[in-house]
Amino acid sequence: MDLLPSNRSPPPPAPTQGSPCGSASSKDSVEWEGRSLLKALVKKSALCGEQVHVLGCEVSEEEFREGFDSSINNRLVYHDLFRDPLSWSKPGKALPGGPLEALRALDKRTGSGPATIALDSLSWLLHHLPCPILCQTLHALSRQDSCPGDTLPGEQVRVLGLLHEELHGPGPLGALSSLAQTEVTLSGTMGQASAHILYRRPRQRPTLQTQWFSILPDFSLELQVEPLLESQPPSDLHTPSVDPTTHLTFNLHLSKKEREAKDSLTLPFQFSSEKQQALLRPGLGQATSHIFYEPDAYDDLDQEDPDDDLDV
Amino acid sequence: MAAAGTCGTGTRSTGSMVAAASTNNVTSFQRRGPRASGADSGCSRLVSIAGTRPSVRNGQLLVSTGLPALDQLLGGGLAVGTVLLIEEDKYNIYSPLLFKYFLAEGIVSGHALLVASAKEDPADILQKLPAPLIDDSYKKECDEDVCSHKMEPDIKMKIAWRYQLLPKMEAGPVSSSRFGHYYDISKRIPQELIETSKWHGFFLPEKISSAFNVESCSLTPGYMKLLQFIQNIIYKEGFDGSNPQKKQKNILRIGIQNLGSPLWGDDICCTENCDTSHSLTKFLYILRGLLRTSLSACIITMPTHLIQNKAVIARVTNLSDTVVGLESFIGSEKETNPLYKDYHGLIHIRQIPRLNNLIYDISDVKDLAFKLKKKLFTIESLLRAPTLFLPQVVSFARGCQRPS
Repeated sequence: MDLLPSNRSPPPPAPTQGSPCGSASSKDSVEWEGRSLLKALVKKSALCGEQVHVLGCEVSEEEFREGFDSSINNRLVYHDLFRDPLSWSKPGKALPGGPLEALRALDKRTGSGPATIALDSLSWLLHHLPCPILCQTLHALSRQDSCPGDTLPGEQVRVLGLLHEELHGPGPLGALSSLAQTEVTLSGTMGQASAHILYRRPRQRPTLQTQWFSILPDFSLELQVEPLLESQPPSDLHTPSVDPTTHLTFNLHLSKKEREAKDSLTLPFQFSSEKQQALLRPGLGQATSHIFYEPDAYDDLDQEDPDDDLDV
Repeated sequence: MAAAGTCGTGTRSTGSMVAAASTNNVTSFQRRGPRASGADSGCSRLVSIAGTRPSVRNGQLLVSTGLPALDQLLGGGLAVGTVLLIEEDKYNIYSPLLFKYFLAEGIVSGHALLVASAKEDPADILQKLPAPLIDDSYKKECDEDVCSHKMEPDIKMKIAWRYQLLPKMEAGPVSSSRFGHYYDISKRIPQELIETSKWHGFFLPEKISSAFNVESCSLTPGYMKLLQFIQNIIYKEGFDGSNPQKKQKNILRIGIQNLGSPLWGDDICCTENCDTSHSLTKFLYILRGLLRTSLSACIITMPTHLIQNKAVIARVTNLSDTVVGLESFIGSEKETNPLYKDYHGLIHIRQIPRLNNLIYDISDVKDLAFKLKKKLFTIESLLRAPTLFLPQVVSFARGCQRPS
């Protein structure tokens, strides 16, 4: 799943073409709802000429299609799970087999041309399906189809999912985040919605961006610059840092002359070239060191070699 | 497990990329043992498999993990018959690198590979392995890096000049380059190396049929299938000694990616009290049993940061032999900490096994950080100023005194 647009310049961006396929999830909460963003993205995909499949679970079809004009509505294929989720009406149009079969049917259906699949919403699916099975199905959806002969780069499937993050614990949220290639978390301040976008590229560091946006009544996406905050929170509460190098009784800094003197000093155990020369050339027949020895009264100055007594 | 007698090996590497810097050790002192033609494995003390060497401490047969720095930290290498568990970092950027190094080392040494994944096709994983470096080109890389790193090159140690001779953490290629090679991440492994290697792949979505019937056995179906696959390969290819007519012994390197993630059908990452909470631990137990009875080594990467139940993490750690954890700085407050500004994350050696030994082979350096350069993944020790006042533990030892 991926998020369009991926360029971050403030002027209204053209719908991106080069976005990679994969999966994207939008997390919303009670204050900042995400369905309008989902619909805006769906509209953008439809305007690009892609076929859009929507699996609707939380709102009815009429409500979802509301606000779209007819050209978009023609490209939108709506799979309705809202009307009859438990498929009680047997001969009806409801999808048999429940949500799992519906997802698998979506997988098989997208065979021609690039397509976008919008899941509204992942929270509903998480409540009705066990999490590992949902993850495996989503992964199968967002992988490129391994049909023989399908090597066109245009045959890509984008999966967009809406997730209500307050309804789930950290486990399913973490599991779905690790699957998604792009994660958009909605929040905002003072009536202005913002999206924190975490974009994971396959072998590179993930990038985190914040983008302010607003959605117009016809569900087109408008990016905005960050609004100025009128009320600045009281900052700079930290105490001014104390410089510990003042008021010392010793000198921490060296002047230039002192530094030169220090560098030119030869240390006693340093093996400098002068010492090497002095050792190599022992002087004009003179030993450089003399030993002065004064024997004590108690010293035994026996000139004989004590080892001569040994019978070896 | 076979204990190797000598470490002299013939040239068995299949690729021509690795230039042999070492010569065959030919001495005039030949061991006059029984001329076993290989059929009698009881008295062949000279079992030597390419790409392995005995540990200097206890003679355990070791294979390289692909990163010589990591080998050094683990006491020379990974012991044959053990499991190396890598705890993934949060965004799963660096743990696939270690996984790929392990597999690339297997290809270069001529070992058989078994790659299991639920996310990526094993053939794709093998295509993305790094290319091995010839020894001289690695030296050039090292020098370039060192030159670019040197901030004050003319400050040499004046008083303690003998300490300049101490070996640094990241050693260059060792003289016998049969064990532990260097790789260039920016290049792919040449295709002919992959084709000449023997590898088996296990891709879960292909093996599991689409009918998701929940079986009543305690192992998730994905794990069960993987274990059967591994057992089958070990038996068929004779890694457990079951085909004695095979002349050459070889090591099987098993790599399992993202074990425990929901893509394997395990919900241990999703809920805290799950029904199949013992599935993963049973899998590890059975896997270890399979490994101990065969000439194989296994690397597993696991997203432990997603596991909700901390007790399970402790159990998983106990069931693995060597556990290495990666912690990357992305997104955490450590990213802006000036202490860590040169590095990309910390590496924690959480567990080292004690195999046929009385003591653990723990290295002295405990603070380790890793850095991903353009071509290399390096592990260095995080040098810090020593704390001045260590708490002194004063113990009063009283001898046994007889009351007088």
